[in-house]
Amino acid sequence: MDFTVVSEITDNIATVTLKGSLDSASASVFQEEIQKLIGQPIKDLVLRVSELSFMASAGLRMIIFAKQKLGSAVNIFLVSPQDQIIDTLQMTGFIHSVHIVDKYPK
Amino acid sequence: MGSQIHTYTFNASLEVLEEIRNLISQKGNEHGYSKKEIYNLTLAVDEIATNIINHGYIEKGIKKGTFNMLIELHEKQLIVRLVDGAVPYNPIDQNLPSEELLNTPLEDRPIGGLGIMIAKQSVDEFKYEFIEGKNNNIFVVNKK
Repeated sequence: MDFTVVSEITDNIATVTLKGSLDSASASVFQEEIQKLIGQPIKDLVLRVSELSFMASAGLRMIIFAKQKLGSAVNIFLVSPQDQIIDTLQMTGFIHSVHIVDKYPK
Repeated sequence: MGSQIHTYTFNASLEVLEEIRNLISQKGNEHGYSKKEIYNLTLAVDEIATNIINHGYIEKGIKKGTFNMLIELHEKQLIVRLVDGAVPYNPIDQNLPSEELLNTPLEDRPIGGLGIMIAKQSVDEFKYEFIEGKNNNIFVVNKK
């Protein structure tokens, strides 16, 4: 499935909606979106991923990239990831560094 | 049913990853593998195919490289085999990220090194063979 990414910033909260397949071919599109956020006052990065059907390690690298570029104080939320993506976050230890939530704000 | 083997050839370009995943999903579905088994297999193959395309071809400046994928459907197993003629590379030999690294906060982590670990952990068996001058990366899923 084609990958799409849309972002917006409201009240220091960056919301990025990811849909489709995030692999090493499409990761650069996500990276460009993160680069737009660099330098802005962001408290929370909210990744809406309920319609993200596939995520390879290239997607994990983009989460690391976001954390390193936006600053370690930024909280990263993943809203409604599919079970298989949670498995990947678990396997790689990412589960400890991101917040998995059913909805945002709670 | 007897065994079936389907063979496909791809250009060494990241654009082919989606088609690779779609082909595996289609064959896995047709033969009764679960959504989770199929996802994990496509993830493992995607990670290694990415490495082959990036490190074996693109970074070496090889413009018109191709590699093969075989999907083998046996009575009790689904096997995917990636066969490439790029520089010999055995992913099994690579050091996996340590437990310590996996517990390191993201802001302190190096970018990369997770793909092979994901591949190994996502299938029942992940093997490498060097046969007639070619890298063979082999992914085995057992029928439950």
